[in-house]
Amino acid sequence: MLRPRIIPCLLIHNKGLVKTVQFKEPKYVGDPINAVKIFNEKEVDELIVVDIDATAKRIEPDYHLIEKMAIECRMPFCYGGGIKTVEQAKRIFGLGVEKIAISSIAVENPSLITKIAEKVGNQSVVVVMDVKKKGLFNKYEIFINNGLKNTGIDPIAFAVKAQKLGAGEIVINNIDNDGLMKGFDETLIKKIREVTNIPLTVMGGAGNLDDVGSIIRQHGIIGVSAGSLFVFKGKFRAVLINYPTLEEKEMLLEKYF
Amino acid sequence: MNSYQICTNCIMDTTDNNITFNERGVCDHCNDFYDFVKPNWHTDIKGREELEKIIDKIKKAGKNKEFDSILGLSGGVDSSYMLHLAVKEFGLRPLVFHVDGGWNSELAVHNINVLIDKLGLDLYTEVINWEEMKDFQLAFFKSGVPHLDIPQDHAFIATLYYFAEKHKIKYILNGGNISTECVQYPLHWFYYGTDMKHINDIRKKFSTNKMETYPFSSVFRHKIYLKYLKGVQVVKPLNHMPYIKSKALKFLETEYNWKPYPQKHFESRFTKFYEGYWLPERFGYDTRRVQLSSLILTGQMTREEALNIVSKPAYNPDTINDEFNYIATKLGITSEELLKYFNMPKKYYWDYKNQQNIFKIGAKVLHLLGVEKVKKREK
Amino acid sequence: MITIIDYGLGNIRAFVNVYDRLNIKTKVAKNIKDLEGVNKIILPGVGHFDYAMQSLENSGMKERINDLVLNEKTPVIGICVGMQMMSNRSDEGKLSGLGWIDGEVKLFDESKINYKTKLPHMGWNDIEPVKDNKLLDGLNTNSRFYFLHSYYFRCNDKSNIIAETIYGEKFASAVYKDNIYGIQFHPEKSHSAGIRLLKNFAEL
Repeated sequence: MLRPRIIPCLLIHNKGLVKTVQFKEPKYVGDPINAVKIFNEKEVDELIVVDIDATAKRIEPDYHLIEKMAIECRMPFCYGGGIKTVEQAKRIFGLGVEKIAISSIAVENPSLITKIAEKVGNQSVVVVMDVKKKGLFNKYEIFINNGLKNTGIDPIAFAVKAQKLGAGEIVINNIDNDGLMKGFDETLIKKIREVTNIPLTVMGGAGNLDDVGSIIRQHGIIGVSAGSLFVFKGKFRAVLINYPTLEEKEMLLEKYF
Repeated sequence: MNSYQICTNCIMDTTDNNITFNERGVCDHCNDFYDFVKPNWHTDIKGREELEKIIDKIKKAGKNKEFDSILGLSGGVDSSYMLHLAVKEFGLRPLVFHVDGGWNSELAVHNINVLIDKLGLDLYTEVINWEEMKDFQLAFFKSGVPHLDIPQDHAFIATLYYFAEKHKIKYILNGGNISTECVQYPLHWFYYGTDMKHINDIRKKFSTNKMETYPFSSVFRHKIYLKYLKGVQVVKPLNHMPYIKSKALKFLETEYNWKPYPQKHFESRFTKFYEGYWLPERFGYDTRRVQLSSLILTGQMTREEALNIVSKPAYNPDTINDEFNYIATKLGITSEELLKYFNMPKKYYWDYKNQQNIFKIGAKVLHLLGVEKVKKREK
Repeated sequence: MITIIDYGLGNIRAFVNVYDRLNIKTKVAKNIKDLEGVNKIILPGVGHFDYAMQSLENSGMKERINDLVLNEKTPVIGICVGMQMMSNRSDEGKLSGLGWIDGEVKLFDESKINYKTKLPHMGWNDIEPVKDNKLLDGLNTNSRFYFLHSYYFRCNDKSNIIAETIYGEKFASAVYKDNIYGIQFHPEKSHSAGIRLLKNFAEL
C-alpha cells in the first residue's frame, strides 16, 4: 500500500543549518552533513535541503556541499536554492540528487520549468511556492528571494500554471506559519490540492505529529514536510534531531491514513 | 629502550609510559585502587547514607528554584542511567543539557530522545558552531598530538559550568564512577582539556578561525572560582551504590528502549573513530585497556575476557575506510591529507607550551587538603 | 566486476555510493570499451521510454550489452525504466524495447486509483515476493521500497513475476528470467531494504 511521505526539511545559511520563524531570525542549528547522516540513519522517507542564501545573494549553489550531502542519502534527496539554468540543474543531478527545487526562478522565468523537465524528466522538477497572506483582505500571495519580495501572484493560479508547464511536484511553503509550530494552514492546502493533481508536499507550521496526521487524514497521499518539528525538542527548542521510528510511523498511519 | 610489560592483574601495559610494576608484576593502577580508592568506596548502606545526605542537600538548596541540579547528557550509558536515577529514584529536578559538537551518532540522538520523552523532561542543547569546531579539531590533527578530543571535551566542561552559573545551580550530577572508571587514562594519552596555555599554543600555530562563539573556560574558573567561591559542587551518585554496567544497560534497554553502543564513548562519531582507530593505530594507545582494566578491578570482567577483547581491533575493518573518508569529508580535507596527519611524526603535550606543572601542584594541594581523593588527573 | 551502465539517465552516483559502503567494487561504463571484464550489469533508467531507448542506442553499447546478456548470460538487473526497457514495447513510446523478458509496458489504469494524485506512483510502497528468489533474500513480506513511475511491466508469462505491489491494481514490481532481473522500484534510494537487494545482486 502506498504511503504518504513525511519529509524533514533543512535550511542552509552561511554553510550551516538554520531554522527560521516566518522566514526571519535564522537560528544556528549545526552542521548540515551530520544532520543529513542522522536522518539517513533514521531512514526518513525523503529529504529536502534548501540553501536560503544562494538565490537571495545570487550565488552559485555550493556543489561541493551538495555532493557531500548526497553521498549520505539512501533516500530521495531534493535540493533547492540558487538554481537558475538547465546546466546547473543537470550538474546537480550528476552529484546524486534526485529532485531539484526551484522557487524564485520558477516565478521569474516559468519556461525554465519546462526546459529542465524536458532534459531530466518531469518527476525531477519540484516547484516551491513560498506563500504569505497579504493586504486588507488577507490574500495569499507568492513571495520570492527567501520571502523578501512580494510578487503579488496568486499561488492557486500559479500552481495550475506550474503543473501545465511540466512540474513534477509542487511544494507549498507557508511563510506565516513557518517555525511557529502551531499547525498548518489547512485552507491554503485545500485550495491548492483542489486545482492540481500532480504530487503535492506541504510545509510550514507542523508542531507535532498530530498536525502531520491531520493533513494525512484530509488528503491521503500527500507529502508532509517539516523543519522545526524534526530539529527541535521541547519548550526550550533544544536542538535535537528526531523523526518517528518505523513503529511510530505505522501507528500514525493507522490513526490517520 | 624499555621492553614490553603487561600487568598480571589487569591489562594495563607499557603503552602507559609512566606505569610501574611491583615485584609481582602488578601495576600501580591496581595498587592505587586497592590502597587508596577501594577503602574509601562505599556502595553499601554507608554509601547509601552518604548519598541520601547529598540528595537532601541538593533538594534544600534547590527549593523554590526551577532546577536543583544540572546534568550533562551525552547519550552514553553512565549519564543516561544517572538521569534515570536522578529523576525516578532521587526525585531531583535537574537541568538537562546536551552539547552538540557536530558529531552526534544517530544512536546518541535516539537515546537522548527516548529518555527525555519518557521522563517528560525539558532539554537544553548547546550547538557549537561547526565551522569553529572543525577548525579547532583540525588544528589538533595538525599538531600531531594524541589528545584530539579536547575540542569536544572542553566544550562540554565549559558549557556545563556556564549553565550551572547562569541558573545558579550548585550541584552538578556527574555520571563518572569508580565502578567502570577507576583506572585513569595516562596523561600523555589524554592531556588536560582545560589547560588554556596549551590550547592557545596549538591554536596559535595551527588554527585559522577566530572562534568567536566557542565556549572557552579555564581550569582556574571551573575548579577554583566556581567551586570554592561560588560553591558549585560535583556529585557522583554512581559511586554510592553498586553500579554494574551490564545491569544498567539492560535496564535502560527494557525501560526506555535505549540502544547500546558498540563501545564506550561511541555516542560521538568522532570519538568512535578517534578511540577505535586513530589512537590505537597511530600511537598504540588502546582505551579499551583502561576501560576493561577498571571492570577487572571491580569484578565485572575477568582478565581473560579482557585480553580476548583487546586482541581484536577496536575498529570494524569492514567499515573503517568509510569512516576514515567521512571524518576527512566532515573536516573539509581530503582523505590523503588526513592520512598525512596519521603518518606524521608523533608529538605530545610536552612538545607545546603547557601548564602541566600548575595542574600537578594544584592537584597535589587539593589532594593534601583532603579535598580530592584521586591521585592522577580526573577525566 | 559490477558494471553500471551510464548512458545518460539514472542516479549512477547513488549506486556507486551504496556499493562503496559495502566494500564492493563497481565500474561505470560510458562506452563500449568500458564493457570489458564485465561480470554483472546494472541498467538504471528514469524518464521517458523512447528517450531512454534512444539514449542507450546512442551510447553505442546496446549491441554489446544485448550480446553479454542474451548470449554470454551475464546477470543483469534493470531498474525502473531500465526494467521497462527489457520489455517488447511500451505504451509510453514508439521505439521497441530490448525484448529480454516477454511483456509490454502499460500505463496504470487511473480509474482504479482513488487518490487525487493518480500518477505517477510516487513514494514508499510494499513489495510482496511471490516466488523464492536469491535477489529477494532476506526481504520479508512488506519490505518497503521507493517507487516513481507511471507505467508498469505486464508480463506475458506470469512465471516471470517474482514480486508484486499494489497501486490501484496489482502489478509486477520485480521480474526474472534466467540471468535477467528487473525491478520497478529504486533500491539505491530505499534504505536498508534497497541496500540488501543490491548486496544480494552482487552476491549472485
